[in-house]
Amino acid sequence: MDIKKIWIPLLFLILAIFPPFFLSQYWLHVMIISLFYVMMASSWNLIAGYTGQISFAHAAFSGVGAYVSGMLAVNLGVSPWLGILIGSAVAALLGLGLGYLCIRMGGIYLSLTTLGFSEILRIIITNEDKWTRGTMGLQVPGFFTDYSKANCYYLFLVVAVLFLIIIYCLIHSEMGLSFRAVLNDELAASSSGIDTIRVRVLAFTISSAMAGVAGGLYGHYLMLITPDIPTLGQMFLVLAMAVIGGMGSFVGPIVGSFALEILSEYIRIYGEYHVLIFGLVALGVARFAPEGMVGILSRRWRRRNLS
Amino acid sequence: MRGGGKGRFMSEFLMYLTNGIIMGVINAISAIGVSLIVGIMKVVNFAHGELYIFAGYFSYHLSTSLGVHPFLAIPLSVFFIFLLGILMERTLIRPTYGDEMYSLIITFVLSIVLQNAALLIFGPYPNKPPTLVSGATNLFGLFHYGNQRLLSFGISIGILLSIFYLIKRTWFGKSVRAISQDRGMASLVGVDHLRVNMISFGLGAGLAGAAGVIIAPIFPVTPTGSSAISLNAFVVVVLGGMGSLKGCVVGGLVLGILENLGAAYISTMYRHIFGFIVLILVLVFRPWGLFGQKTQ
Amino acid sequence: MNGRIIEARGVTKSFGGLTAVRNVDFHLEEGEIVGLIGPNGAGKTTLFNLVSGVYRYDEGTLLFNGISLASLKPFEICRLGIGRTFQIVRPFLKMSCLENILVGMVGKRDKNGSTREKREEARGYLKFVSLESREKVLANDLTLIEKKRLEMARALATQPKVLLLDEVLAGLNPSEILQALELIEVVRTRLKVTIFWIEHVMGAIMKASDRIIVLDQGEKIKEGRPEEIVNDSKVIEAYLGESDA
Repeated sequence: MDIKKIWIPLLFLILAIFPPFFLSQYWLHVMIISLFYVMMASSWNLIAGYTGQISFAHAAFSGVGAYVSGMLAVNLGVSPWLGILIGSAVAALLGLGLGYLCIRMGGIYLSLTTLGFSEILRIIITNEDKWTRGTMGLQVPGFFTDYSKANCYYLFLVVAVLFLIIIYCLIHSEMGLSFRAVLNDELAASSSGIDTIRVRVLAFTISSAMAGVAGGLYGHYLMLITPDIPTLGQMFLVLAMAVIGGMGSFVGPIVGSFALEILSEYIRIYGEYHVLIFGLVALGVARFAPEGMVGILSRRWRRRNLS
Repeated sequence: MRGGGKGRFMSEFLMYLTNGIIMGVINAISAIGVSLIVGIMKVVNFAHGELYIFAGYFSYHLSTSLGVHPFLAIPLSVFFIFLLGILMERTLIRPTYGDEMYSLIITFVLSIVLQNAALLIFGPYPNKPPTLVSGATNLFGLFHYGNQRLLSFGISIGILLSIFYLIKRTWFGKSVRAISQDRGMASLVGVDHLRVNMISFGLGAGLAGAAGVIIAPIFPVTPTGSSAISLNAFVVVVLGGMGSLKGCVVGGLVLGILENLGAAYISTMYRHIFGFIVLILVLVFRPWGLFGQKTQ
Repeated sequence: MNGRIIEARGVTKSFGGLTAVRNVDFHLEEGEIVGLIGPNGAGKTTLFNLVSGVYRYDEGTLLFNGISLASLKPFEICRLGIGRTFQIVRPFLKMSCLENILVGMVGKRDKNGSTREKREEARGYLKFVSLESREKVLANDLTLIEKKRLEMARALATQPKVLLLDEVLAGLNPSEILQALELIEVVRTRLKVTIFWIEHVMGAIMKASDRIIVLDQGEKIKEGRPEEIVNDSKVIEAYLGESDA
């Protein structure tokens, strides 16, 4: 990485330290939720944008992380810090299993099976309310004894930045070359010596683990874990953020997460229309501008520079 | 009637089995709707379940709010859905040909949009269109079974036979089979593949709608049930083997019977899990399905 | 080992009711350049796909240095030492030329070697095909012949012992064809790669090959030196049988 490329993210990082000092509790909450979506959208983009696998189980994996951690905390008194790690490991294992089963058959099978997995998980969680408290929600302990939103904000910020660093290093490593080769042309990649199945399963497992962590953080922040987390509606939001922001780019999901989360707060004043609106926008983007907001902006910037 | 418990068990079992068979043929129609589109266009229509329930809602509103006779409301609703399918293909799907990824994203987003639209337009309450026939028949001398269900069975069989005739005997069906085997070749011999695509997508949507209107007088439609419906269709397609019509029928029956018996004897809450378990088992032991082709 | 780097006996492949390759025997000796010709639909690319693992053969044996290729996946076959190019060129379009080469190097290298060393080695392959000035250009932005050269370089980066070339000369003008033939000869002598290639440009393949194998409707109808093939009546008949030769 050359020095020029470092100072922009560094600047943002420094700026990111300040919000708790001047934002209201409400907007700080919005920032925290946005950071949750940054984690989710970036890790989904890793498999969708960089290896071409459309999974619909991402929200489900975050639910796995949340519920495993939550149930461990409530029933065995496990601390959330440890619980989240265990939850993430469970999510990763499920991702490994599901991934291996489907990926050897092709993209369509992965999408179908992850859709099914997501629905079934939601049904199980809703029905087994002895363990999960079903739709009433599972009340779990938070991270900090002082319930400080500022502390939670910094926690989410640190983890989100960590995820982004991991994803960045992964993409720019040799493994990242394999990812993009598989994305570009699976047959050519395979004929050039890339074990395409192993590459895809690896990406899928890493991304599931990340979703598990994000879910765990989300659950213990809200201190209430509900079956809303592993739904297809949540999955759609994550997908929309990645697609509208710019699938296959590094910054796209970050931009998409903040943009859509903040917008949805404004739209909610009028009613629960944000899903419908984002859906129509996502359709438009996928149809007319597949590179998303980032793509459109970078094309304009390039044109201005050339003229 | 035979004595006591055994007789009752038998008659209950046969009733659940009959339920399963009837659901099974409806599953088959629904699955063919998906399989047709996957086979020709390599596109999975994730909005399948939404089209299914939209048809149910159309038939409900046409017959109750607008006073259209049910015999007319049903084909009319299916026709609307057929048109909707064609519209979807022209505007959204056609530009994504060759790009599997984007068609998956687009139909998924479409399903969410339609789900939310259904909630806004039709409201969250279940609706049940009026039945075409009432009363019950005594089946096998063992139990009474609703006539509407028997009629649905009859209509479903009729639709399945028509589809088989369409695919095996008509020029359209031959084009469909040619394209799903080799699009380039089919194009060379003069098949207008774009037009066939469009009609097939409409047909796939129409079949989803048909399944929906057949079910609606028996089980009410709700906007939130659409994901489970799509999932059911997908499980049948994977179980039967992608691109196999025979597979859809066999798979649909297997799933229908399994789900009904499972819901009756094991657990009603988890009726959809049986489908998912079947899916996983198929993927583990025979991923190409019962009648699918084993490719490299 | 009797110098036969690839040995195939009775190889057969059917798709549904259609037999694309029927009972084909052939072999490649190390260091040879062997041409594969035949009218359209003869099964040439299918044979290539069988050797490179894209398809599994139904019957027969196919050995590479004595190892059976029966149940190996394409990437395993590549790592064993069989590289290929495609009839319709397939570089990684959204990646740069250098990255295309680096991908080819991933499968076979040991994990040692710094990034800088690997990039230098990749540049070497680009230089070999005269693409070193296009290092940062996306493959999508190359001309057709540059794409073909890139695909060849990527295949060479996998350090193959056998290279399958599928109609590399298609779409090239005569001077480009001469350049390509020179390159192929250099690959054989300098890099010690055995070459098996499909071609329709008859003059070129007859001139550059040591031996020719002729397929027609899935079966091998003749094999021999170019001089023997050119005048053979069976071969001429097979070609005249198709409407556009």
